[in-house]
Amino acid sequence: MDSKRTPNGPVSDEIEGDENTILIRRTLRSGQKFYYNGNVIIMGDVNPGAQVAATGNIIVMGQMRGVVHAGAEGDEAAMVMAFRLLPTQLRIANHITRPPDDEVPSSTVPEIARIKNGVVTIESYPTGLDRVFR
Amino acid sequence: MGEVIVVTSGKGGVGKTTTTANLGTGLAQLGYKVSLVDADIGLRNLDVVLGLENRIVYDITDVTGGHCRMRQALIKDKRYDGLFLLPAAQTKDKSAVNPDQMKVLCEDLRQEFDFVIIDCPAGIEQGFRNAIAGADRAIVVTTPEVSAVRDADRIVGLLEAAELRDPKLIVNRVRYKMVKAGDMMSIDDIIDILAIDLLGVVPEDEMVVITTNRGEPVVSDDRCRSGAAYRNIVRRITGEQVPLLSLDEGGFMGKIRRMIGFK
Repeated sequence: MDSKRTPNGPVSDEIEGDENTILIRRTLRSGQKFYYNGNVIIMGDVNPGAQVAATGNIIVMGQMRGVVHAGAEGDEAAMVMAFRLLPTQLRIANHITRPPDDEVPSSTVPEIARIKNGVVTIESYPTGLDRVFR
Repeated sequence: MGEVIVVTSGKGGVGKTTTTANLGTGLAQLGYKVSLVDADIGLRNLDVVLGLENRIVYDITDVTGGHCRMRQALIKDKRYDGLFLLPAAQTKDKSAVNPDQMKVLCEDLRQEFDFVIIDCPAGIEQGFRNAIAGADRAIVVTTPEVSAVRDADRIVGLLEAAELRDPKLIVNRVRYKMVKAGDMMSIDDIIDILAIDLLGVVPEDEMVVITTNRGEPVVSDDRCRSGAAYRNIVRRITGEQVPLLSLDEGGFMGKIRRMIGFK
């Protein structure tokens, strides 16, 4: 069976089976740096002064306050998602962004950052219920 | 067998030495046998804060180097019988002691004392590694400033890497009015980032400066708030459950406002 086949049927591009993914079950603190060849999922926070970089996507199940770099080897389709996306600096492939200077950063819902039309765009991430009742 | 506790912070000037002196004095007041170890070799202060500077004959490097016995180097406090200080050397640097020697030293001290409290130097280099080498528990001191909290976070990470789990947090020099006005980080903001257990909050207090300059830790002063905060922290260290001190200065008008129902 094709590895990209979902359990109940059709072939889907939404399931990525070929890449490595690592699960980190701790908080990354100031001065700690993590690099991975593949996707990264962090169960914990990424504190200011910490850095996470991955060649694939990065998902933080907590607060993302450090420096984050998804698609570190140039993958423009990579994305960063966090329960609270408040990064010091956010990089995707060779795009580098930072929060605006005149705004107090705030985040109350899970958000997702990815490149759309050549610009890094941050949107709230709709949960299952939001998608259904929209 | 006693317990070895290291007081550390990363950033300088947040109150490690003051905290060490007050915790040691507070524990001695409760009747425990306490030894304070100044691990800040080259920049010793703990002896000054305790007012014991003029009694130093031998120091920590003399003990680790085998030039004297532990008993000869330990200085007895002038107020409390159970309190002793092992002073740092002033004319040497951090490399005069190594982590293995510190482990041996802590093992020796814990045979005789209920609590051994180590005053860690600022920074994350050899002095820090020496100070934490023999410790069972760590207390991280920070102030409500972004830079101090950042350094505390780094320290917590390094303590975890060194297998010193579950450090406790003391937030020092909190100004309640500024927190209320939103001009200073609140305790919640700090806990939100560090995510470690809070051991206590010490308010900013001029009495700390006055008593430190006199060489008498503020914990012995019954009238001031910072002294009360330190006494509560001391009781929490011994395992007692003590509620946090209300930081609201309140006063008479505050009481009336609360009675009428204003916040």
